[in-house]
Amino acid sequence: MSTDQNFSVVGKSLPRSDGRIKAVGAAQYADDIFLPGMLYGKLLRSPVAHALIKSIDTSAAEALPGVKCVITGQDIPKVKYGNWRLVPESQDEYALAIDKVRFIGDEVAAVAAIDKDSAEEAIRLIKVEYEELPGAYSVEDSLADNAPVIHDEYKQDIPNISLDRKIEYGDLDKAFAEADLILDDVFTVHATSHAYMEPCSCISEYDHDGRLTIWTSTQAPYFVQCLLASTLEMRENDIRVIKPFVGGGFGGKMEMRPWEFCSAFIARKLGRPVKFTLTREEELATGRRRHPMRIHSKVGFSKEGMLLAKEFNVHLDGGAYNSMGPTACFLCGNFGAMLYNYPSYRYYGAHVYTNKPPAGAMRGFGAPQALFVAETQMNMAAEKLGLDPIDIRYMNAMETGNEIPGVATISSCGFKESLIKVAEMTNWREKRKNLKPGQGLGLGCYSFISGGVFNWFNTRYNFTSAEVRAFDDGTVHLMTMASDIGQGCDTVLRQILAEELGLKVSDIRLTAADTAVTPQADLGTWGSRVTLMAGNAVRKAAQEIKEELFKMVSLKFDLNVIHDLRCGNGNIYPANRPDRAVSFGEAVRMAQRAKRGEPVIGYGSYTPRNKGLVTPAFSFGAQVAECEVDKETGAIEVKFMTTAHDCGTPINPMSVEGQLEGSVHMGLGYALSEQFIMKEGKTLTTTFLDYKIPCAEDMPPGISVHVDTYEPDGPFGAKEAGEGLVSPTAPAIADAVYAATGYRCMDLPLTPQKVLTGMKKI
Amino acid sequence: MTLPQFTFLAPTSLTEACALLEKHKGKIKIKAGGTDMIVRLSHRAVKPDYLMSLKKIPNLDGISYTPGEGLTIGALALLREVDLSPLVLEQAQMLARAAHATATVQIRNMGTVMGNVCNASPSADNIPTLVAMNARIVASCGVKEREIPIDEFFLGPGRSALQANEIATAIKVPTLAPQSGVSYQKISPRSKVDIAAVNIGAMITLNDDGECQVARISMGAVGPTPLRARQAETFLLGKKITDETMAEAGRLAAEDAAPISDVRASREYRKLMVEVLTTRALKEAVGFAKN
Repeated sequence: MSTDQNFSVVGKSLPRSDGRIKAVGAAQYADDIFLPGMLYGKLLRSPVAHALIKSIDTSAAEALPGVKCVITGQDIPKVKYGNWRLVPESQDEYALAIDKVRFIGDEVAAVAAIDKDSAEEAIRLIKVEYEELPGAYSVEDSLADNAPVIHDEYKQDIPNISLDRKIEYGDLDKAFAEADLILDDVFTVHATSHAYMEPCSCISEYDHDGRLTIWTSTQAPYFVQCLLASTLEMRENDIRVIKPFVGGGFGGKMEMRPWEFCSAFIARKLGRPVKFTLTREEELATGRRRHPMRIHSKVGFSKEGMLLAKEFNVHLDGGAYNSMGPTACFLCGNFGAMLYNYPSYRYYGAHVYTNKPPAGAMRGFGAPQALFVAETQMNMAAEKLGLDPIDIRYMNAMETGNEIPGVATISSCGFKESLIKVAEMTNWREKRKNLKPGQGLGLGCYSFISGGVFNWFNTRYNFTSAEVRAFDDGTVHLMTMASDIGQGCDTVLRQILAEELGLKVSDIRLTAADTAVTPQADLGTWGSRVTLMAGNAVRKAAQEIKEELFKMVSLKFDLNVIHDLRCGNGNIYPANRPDRAVSFGEAVRMAQRAKRGEPVIGYGSYTPRNKGLVTPAFSFGAQVAECEVDKETGAIEVKFMTTAHDCGTPINPMSVEGQLEGSVHMGLGYALSEQFIMKEGKTLTTTFLDYKIPCAEDMPPGISVHVDTYEPDGPFGAKEAGEGLVSPTAPAIADAVYAATGYRCMDLPLTPQKVLTGMKKI
Repeated sequence: MTLPQFTFLAPTSLTEACALLEKHKGKIKIKAGGTDMIVRLSHRAVKPDYLMSLKKIPNLDGISYTPGEGLTIGALALLREVDLSPLVLEQAQMLARAAHATATVQIRNMGTVMGNVCNASPSADNIPTLVAMNARIVASCGVKEREIPIDEFFLGPGRSALQANEIATAIKVPTLAPQSGVSYQKISPRSKVDIAAVNIGAMITLNDDGECQVARISMGAVGPTPLRARQAETFLLGKKITDETMAEAGRLAAEDAAPISDVRASREYRKLMVEVLTTRALKEAVGFAKN
């Protein structure tokens, strides 16, 4: 496959296949599903951050008219779960707390009733006697000498560190000894919310055959299927997980969660469907969030600006359970030494339990934190060495073919081109010299993974798979467990399939994300894995079909074996004899005749093998923020964002653009206004009034360009788009604020008060 | 989220509405645009047996102007109407700025200025300018009307001087004296579309020598009710208005502010913002007064 191939469907900004149904309001999300006789579920959550449960009295709740079921930790199988099945002792959660609660919001009991009001009333009638324990609300609290042990039954070398990771290569001590400039700084970064539009919701039904179906707002139907099976003590194949339309996830919906378990458990117990839908307050007060971290980073440079060494020590404030923290801990180590060639590197990351809502996976998965630090230090080093921030990056930048020792080889890289582009687009060098008072220009860069290669879920299936059925009316049916949660893979996978088979997107029927119907398996939508991995599987399935149909066309025209056959415009034809075309449907008909009625079906799967430790492919990019700071109020206005990024071939440029704008939006909130304000484990910012997501009016204008690269491991050259880009925004804005005010932010978010404090006005 | 059960009342006259208030005392809530009340209902923050809409009562909407008296903003005048009203823009453009600063366009199309006032939130966008302009709230019990000076209207967060059987029917904003100017200034944690962390309304009247005749400064979100910056006002009286006097007035306003630290801002930041925004408000108001 060459990079200059003229694609007919790939690379086109086709409208989303789910655009119309969402625009007219007809898309069914989990909460829109109503089943006959269904009950409404509600969870009772712990009001205390750390306590032993002495007793639970559910009698008053059970006596309330309309209440059909009340369950507590005593009623459910004592099976812990967690996504890191590869390390079973890391699975540290019960669906309902059995003897101990570890954060405000920990699920303690569940109720199912005939309506929501009765369920809520019943929750209030449950009496729980707690014996409160001292709490630990920060990394420092948890690692103090007399800190309360949050998981006493989970053996830990250092109390409250659930796991750690080390990376080391090169001669670090020697490199630091030779360095002309050493930066040695401690940064803190904060938690933020996924704030997906659709709060979590699910509905379960248990049939007369003893099998369970759950419709749930999830990014990973397969994880939910497997973990429901283990916690309900059922067989995996007796559980069917269907992903309806999902209103966003951003990493927050990639685990089996207590409401999914409770809905399934009660549905099985009563034989009636049970729905749980969380409120926004529950989501914000108790939901998963991005990891706050304390990062100690020491970097050494030569006086010319070459990177020599980096020591990166990260403590992740994980909250009360592991959740996806182990992966964030793992990846943070990789992101700490991405983008540039670090001759020597030492990473220590520790995942620390605290009595707070657990942090989990969130867009960027360790990268926004690590890159805020890394990019800020690049800007600091440039200033100290008298270099332009573009130049110091360019001289250290990774290139195609570079190796990260023991981790990965960079198979495609448009980083240097991205740097050149943003400098050109912003007139960087001139503009930096001519800033007006209060104006600032700042740079941030990123790299990200296109799916992970590490099988922490310990799946026995391939990482993803696809089945394509071809019909003699010229249509095909694509079946995949890949989950569109709003990011657009239903459209993108159709485009990939249409391109491969020479069909139109409208010729493709799609069935996706139903564990009983779509081929086993797919690990879900996270880590920017779907386009590359599911896309490769779809292509392989299509190629099987092509081979079969090519035989028919070859036979029909008695073609010489040297002929190259093609699919295009709904036809199959020899490349140099397009007149000898057979329609796709006709070729399918011939194949079925030849096989005496057997259908034409292709199957493909993808599992990254021999792709190092992290990912098959990395994206890259650079971003410039232009800001204005009101030096009296500290208010920061982002005036313009300029982005150049390398996502390989953009399968659907409009979708990529949407991802990019969404990333800027999320990065903006991360940098400036979003934060959980907490007091002793209690989240105080539990509504969108006080949890401040940037509004449409806050979005700055911007421009972006795709740098042209071709990723050999990706379908039609594609790789990650839209997750990595959440990282450069905060360091770029912080750098612009530094240029405007002299205040260097090392403690996100960058609030007006911090700006004034930094300027010594408060 | 679902609403709790209640009986919906939609009276078609003020007399009828006030009678219903009297009849269901303690069990009834009023809504105009509903942009606050419906949210509070769905969160179960209030659980009235009756919800009474004012929307069917004639003559409560509209914005009018009587020369010599001033503007009258009806209880049902939408935030969006006040934001865009040529009358308001001509007579009291800062009321339009404050209305515009309230929430989003969707909410401005539903919510009313009066609703924002009657909620009596210390951070309400529309209150500081009305206080600065010495507005009066017209309250009716169905049989007789009274006018409440806005300085006496706010008793605490969410509490106003309205009696249980009274409905606020209009806001009266007196015409500005010659050589007067008004300003509304606001800061919030997010740049736009946000609740105020601090807001300031200021009105100043100058004499021919550029000396301050009248100054009224109202500070929002820095106390349980909107506060007057009395020290600053007294300081300015009779003074020649210069950058220095305005800066000093800002400092004095900050002294009178009694903010708390909460999730929206710290006490220290709010104090400093009172100083900055008061100075800015005075500068802008003086600019208008001189034109």
